[in-house]
Amino acid sequence: MSVLTGLALLIGLFAAAPLAAHLLRRRRADVIALPTAALLSKTPPTVRRRSALEDRSLLAIRVLSVLLLALLGATPFVSCSHLSLSRKDGASVAMVLVIDDSLSMRMKGADGKPRFERARIAALDLADAAEPGDSFAIVLAGSPARVALAPTTDLVAAKGGIKALAPSDRSTDLDAAVSLATDLLGEARQIDKRVVLLSDLADGNSAADVLDVPESIALWYPVADLEAKPAPNCGVVAANRVAERVTVAVACSQDATAPRKVGIRPVGKPDEVASAELLPGVASVTIEVPTDLEADLDVVLEAGDAIAEDDVAPVVVATSGRGIGVVSDAAAIHLETGGRPPVEQALLALDLGASVRSLASAPEHEGELGQLAGLILDDPAGLTPEERGAIKKWVEHGGILLLGLGPKAAAAPLGAGFGELVPGVVRFTPGAGADPAGARADGVKPESCGFFGESAASLSELNPRGRVTLEPVALEGAEVSCAFQDGKPLLLKRAMGRGAVLVTTLPFDLETSDFPLRPAFLSLLDRFVETARGEGSSREVAAGQAFSFPGASDVTGDLLPIGQSEPIKIIGNKLAGSVRVDAARIGRYRFVVAGEAEADARFAHVAEAELDLRPRTIAPRSKDESLGGEARKLDISAHVALALLALLALELVLRLVLSGRQPAETAG
Amino acid sequence: MRACYKADVAANKREEPFSPYASDWGAFGPLRLRAQTVAEGIYAGMHRSSRKGAGVEFGGQRPYVFGDDLRFVDKRSLLRHGRLMIREFETETDRALWLVVDATQSMAFKGRGPGSKYPFAALCAAAMARVALASGDPVGLLVIGGDGARALPASAGREAFERIVWTLASIEPGGDWSARGAEVGHSFAPIHARARRGSNVVLFSDLVDLPEAAAHELGSIATRGRRAFALQVLSPDEIELPFTHHARFESMEGGVVVDADPTLARQSYKERLADLREAWSRDLVARGGALVTASTTDKPVAVVRSLLLAVRGAIA
Repeated sequence: MSVLTGLALLIGLFAAAPLAAHLLRRRRADVIALPTAALLSKTPPTVRRRSALEDRSLLAIRVLSVLLLALLGATPFVSCSHLSLSRKDGASVAMVLVIDDSLSMRMKGADGKPRFERARIAALDLADAAEPGDSFAIVLAGSPARVALAPTTDLVAAKGGIKALAPSDRSTDLDAAVSLATDLLGEARQIDKRVVLLSDLADGNSAADVLDVPESIALWYPVADLEAKPAPNCGVVAANRVAERVTVAVACSQDATAPRKVGIRPVGKPDEVASAELLPGVASVTIEVPTDLEADLDVVLEAGDAIAEDDVAPVVVATSGRGIGVVSDAAAIHLETGGRPPVEQALLALDLGASVRSLASAPEHEGELGQLAGLILDDPAGLTPEERGAIKKWVEHGGILLLGLGPKAAAAPLGAGFGELVPGVVRFTPGAGADPAGARADGVKPESCGFFGESAASLSELNPRGRVTLEPVALEGAEVSCAFQDGKPLLLKRAMGRGAVLVTTLPFDLETSDFPLRPAFLSLLDRFVETARGEGSSREVAAGQAFSFPGASDVTGDLLPIGQSEPIKIIGNKLAGSVRVDAARIGRYRFVVAGEAEADARFAHVAEAELDLRPRTIAPRSKDESLGGEARKLDISAHVALALLALLALELVLRLVLSGRQPAETAG
Repeated sequence: MRACYKADVAANKREEPFSPYASDWGAFGPLRLRAQTVAEGIYAGMHRSSRKGAGVEFGGQRPYVFGDDLRFVDKRSLLRHGRLMIREFETETDRALWLVVDATQSMAFKGRGPGSKYPFAALCAAAMARVALASGDPVGLLVIGGDGARALPASAGREAFERIVWTLASIEPGGDWSARGAEVGHSFAPIHARARRGSNVVLFSDLVDLPEAAAHELGSIATRGRRAFALQVLSPDEIELPFTHHARFESMEGGVVVDADPTLARQSYKERLADLREAWSRDLVARGGALVTASTTDKPVAVVRSLLLAVRGAIA
């Protein structure tokens, strides 16, 4: 702002002069000292009130006129920055606005506004600059990338969509967002197609390839100030409590070099109950809290870095109280090394944080099953009707059953089958492993075993001495998650109600096969325990991921974001027989599934990658000035002058009206 | 003389924290000269005492009663008629005049008059003092207002007039006395104690903000052969209420604030003012006194003459 502009704007101070003069005049005229005032009777001030109303309208007009005069004097020097769009030969433009709503966009810029707000204003500027025929779409780059507004030429809808956007605590997925935007532009008829990127480019993947789009589409990065700059920032990525110990994991950007204090406080309370100092370079710290402290806890990182929202996170109680039940005949399973059955040893070795309970037989009461999040039955000799009924009901209410079928299961007595858990007859057939010559091997097809991930390769040479074969009816409604070379299933997954039954056609002993010794077996148990603890999905996710509820009919819940006292109502989305709830914010989630409230809360924490504030490299052509840019000056002199003329006319009209009313009042 | 008077006033003027309004003497100053002028404009013949007793001029006889001084027994009448008679003589007695001047805050009000009410009242009081002193009567003074009451004992002679004028001129009206009834009662104590039978007490006030104790004290003074009179001094603004626009009226004492349209409230205002005068007049007349009203625009000579006539009329 130049000196002349300042002087011009100072004229605006004179707007207060008529107001002050009016007030002074009114006060002097109003108060009269009279010793005999006590002899006066109070009368209603009708005349005064009427004149006061007239005064106000005139006064407002004059004050506004002075202000407009000041503005008129300053307009040649005032610069109003806004984003503008350049067109090729005036042609219509198809634009997809990729707006980053991730956590890092909450960082404030030099002007004190969050970057997300700046991005939103830039998007509105572009919408204002649009002309009929231009199409708009909005893609949000917070993970997972998603379409907020499908391509439309309705500019009102586009502006409404932009105004409704809100920041989240998600991580960033620029690649997916740009790819999604490119796909949306593929169907556009306009020649000029653009992906407008409004992001800080900090997607935690700074070493990845240069971000670009096909040649036929222009990638435009219009607001260079949005690009993330190196800044000290730390965030709590995990906080787990086991008994009186809370382990806090913290991730920091490269510029965070100062020690930070980490505190623990009950939710909604300002005072910390315990704290510790986190030195630079240290990723985690363990803090002891009082054993009898039952309240929900938050971990708080000392304030003072670039993003405040990631400095607080909920403390997750590591054990939910429900364990994994294992029914395995320890006496029958012979181990050379001795000890517990292989399945129990594997569970303990994985150290998944779930309590493992050895059971003598399958539970037949709901009370027993209610204590379990998951149940493993290792080659049971059939199930009694009571056991079958109780387990089926438990699974339908969210239990996860892992059933390893072997020779004993095949030899179950009549009436002690598995019912709906494994329909049909279970038969055990000797395999190639039983052939002393070893002419053939019953390995699995790794490509059919995506369930096991990378460890599926370890099953390629699986050579059991026998395996269970199932009738076709057992495969109906079930998903084969892994199959042998001959196409027969090794692993079946059957969804039942809100739970699921995993069936392997091999038992978990070493007599039949070496399946329990292979890495894929550990993957199986890992997935099983994780699923069981979350009753179908994980209890703890990174912000941006989703909580899923397989088989649930309806899910509602409350989100208590960190730092807020009022919960936010959330409703799940039905998707392919499952209900999903996006965890867009860091905090505690409490769900009600099919009318039953979950016993434990679920948690969303910040994704570690989001704390990396290094920007992603984008194609240099994205900053080409021919695409458009920020217009620095806006001449509004004509508008101001018109407004002044309108005010003048209004004052004249008002004076005419008042002069016509005056005699009538005097006469009255 | 005028410069000397001003110097005297300035030297004796004290800080008045209660007074946001200074008194405006206007056409009523300087007080000493004006008071003399006013007094000279009045015919003030010697008033004769109705009291009989020791003296030089024979006033008649009456029968002897037990306790009469035997020195006044008419011996000739006893010898001629054989009856005990007492000789009486008329004597010129001094009739003390007590001036009570209201110098509270409301008396500083000027309005559209030539000066504020206190100077007018002070001028009338000084003129009354001059007339009384010329007749040989002692004059006492009590001023109520400011930060306290000031009293001068009744005395005669040239110096008495000077003291009264100096006291009246040195006082700046001020203070809210509307709620200081007890203090007003104490202020009248010197008059109670010293005013003898036949004394006249004249109150110079607007009678607007005085506490009820003032009326009570004045009533109690008007006993035992003493008489009380009052001169109500008002500004023309107070009498006519000439304002035209709606305004907030604030009393100068008592903190009364009234939002009123004068055009609508004028009639009832005048009625209430008349009621106030009527109440005072009734009270004073009942005790052998009288109420005289005046505006600051009236001629002081006429006002003092009216006051003297009222006093003489009451005596007669």
